[in-house]
Amino acid sequence: MTLVILGMRSLLRNPYRSVLTSLGILIGVLSVVVLTGIAFGAKSLVLRSIQNLGPNLLVVIPGSVTDSGAQVGGGTDTTLTAEDAQAIRRQCPDIWNASGALRTAAQVQSPHANWSTVILGAEPSYLPVRDWRLARGGFFGEEEERGMARVAVLGRIVATRLFGLEDPVGKFVQINHSPFRVIGILSSKGQSPMGMNQDDMVVVPLATLQSQIMGVSYVGVILAAATSPDRVDAAKREIRGILRLRHHIPSGGRSDFEIQAMSDISKTANRISLILTVLLALIASISLIVGGVGILNIMLVSVRERTREIGIRMAIGARPRDILFQFLSEAAALSFFGALAGGVGGILFLDGIHLLVGWPTPIPWEGLFLTVAGATLLGTLFGLYPAWSASRLDPMEALRYE
Amino acid sequence: MVVRDGPGLSVRLEAVTKIYTVSGEELPALRGISLSIPAGESVAIVGSSGSGKSTLLHLMGLLDRPTSGAVFYDNRRVDTLSPSERAVLRNRSVGFVFQNFQLIPRTSAIENVELPLLYRRIPARERRERARDLLASVGMGDRERHTSSQLSGGQQQRVAIARAIAASPGLLLADEPTGNLDSRSSATILDLLLSLQSRFSTTLVLVTHDMEVARHAQTTFRVRDGLPEDPQ
Repeated sequence: MTLVILGMRSLLRNPYRSVLTSLGILIGVLSVVVLTGIAFGAKSLVLRSIQNLGPNLLVVIPGSVTDSGAQVGGGTDTTLTAEDAQAIRRQCPDIWNASGALRTAAQVQSPHANWSTVILGAEPSYLPVRDWRLARGGFFGEEEERGMARVAVLGRIVATRLFGLEDPVGKFVQINHSPFRVIGILSSKGQSPMGMNQDDMVVVPLATLQSQIMGVSYVGVILAAATSPDRVDAAKREIRGILRLRHHIPSGGRSDFEIQAMSDISKTANRISLILTVLLALIASISLIVGGVGILNIMLVSVRERTREIGIRMAIGARPRDILFQFLSEAAALSFFGALAGGVGGILFLDGIHLLVGWPTPIPWEGLFLTVAGATLLGTLFGLYPAWSASRLDPMEALRYE
Repeated sequence: MVVRDGPGLSVRLEAVTKIYTVSGEELPALRGISLSIPAGESVAIVGSSGSGKSTLLHLMGLLDRPTSGAVFYDNRRVDTLSPSERAVLRNRSVGFVFQNFQLIPRTSAIENVELPLLYRRIPARERRERARDLLASVGMGDRERHTSSQLSGGQQQRVAIARAIAASPGLLLADEPTGNLDSRSSATILDLLLSLQSRFSTTLVLVTHDMEVARHAQTTFRVRDGLPEDPQ
């Protein structure tokens, strides 16, 4: 303990050099903490937007895979229909609801403004499947769907663009020059994992979009919600069976559709973000090692500079191991305080990013402690060689050193 | 393993030689010296520069090991001990006073005096008290906080002496202790060393080239070219 204090004291005798030496470790720890924090933030952002799509969600898209494994026209084929969606809804025991959906782009006009946006045709079950709520007004039901009613539910952004602060519910908008009555406003949902802003769209009944705007009979996608997360795989099998039957695909033949489970996507996202985190941490570790080399360098200089002091200490009765511990504790203290300052700096930096840019930057506490401990260990290890060489000095030669 | 604390350690050198090898060339510093110093005596080792007198002192103080021959403390062979054991022995039984004082730079007088006690694992409080008493006993009680750069040569040497006797060693080794001092300081330092020697009956070995200094010791041992000079 006394030797540790001794080491500290000699650090205080050279405050500038001590601070500059710790700076390397400080920056190393800071970059590890900040980069992993950002990676964590990015991960939570991606996961949150996947969560936003609705839990237990399965997405059926048209498209086939050729024998060579290449996908042909993924997502653009026209093989899925509203009847497929209905069959899934009615016949799969592990699906509690499903909705076909189709989208196109169109100009939407209010009396005051016009806005180019996405028109989504969806069935009444779309809202519960997506676990989405309305901000105001209502959604269309079976009656409007069957009757191809010209009703529209506006996304948040569209509502603001077209009506400003006014309440759009009950008013009319023009889609492709046909009037649609606004019956509701969607609650805000933000970005989809594919980067589309889900608040920038207008939802109309699927049948209305198919026959009155686009003149087609297929759907672009079928969204299905499994009864619970652990039934997702079973639901996937059921959908596959039903659709293959409905599409008359012989056993052994390739399906003309694809089923993606959101849980799979989030697994992939998790894996990717893990790789990202490890990669960033690895890059940041390089600066940590550079910091360690800085300690090695300064400690070597310090041992050389203080050769005579070491000689005096040995003459007075310091054992080689006393000298070793003194220099080792110097290196440990330098790296510990550097790492600690880097950790605190990292937390402040992440908070700053959060305040300025608004990214979620959770403090990676576990990683933080690990990094501080690791950096201290690293610095101490780099101090080992200089400390060892100091302890091996010959007392006589050290005393004579000028 | 410690021989013993405090008064009087007898030192015996048996046919010691020391050969330094500098860039492949062998430079003999001591060519075979036998010397016995009884406990509690004061001995002056005299010789011109390069005679090997300092080397002799370093061998006695276990700072260095002889190329051949043996060193005994109270009839126990000590030159063959490990570096760590020699360090412990230096700490407990030997006090050094050097020509250039060898205080640790940027360190206060009291911290310098505390050092041997620190390496002896004496608790901080006791260490501080003893260091304070020691500084007072060499007339430096009012300079505890001064660092070496704030002290005159004579004052530095007094701090160094306080440090040398801090662990109450049985053997006090002084290498040209007045070599860097003016005549007035020299006299004070010499008086201090001799009074300490008689007060604690410590064995005192004084290396000097100055006969005036050597005169104060009980016996004189002359060295020339690494060999004992014939007694006059």
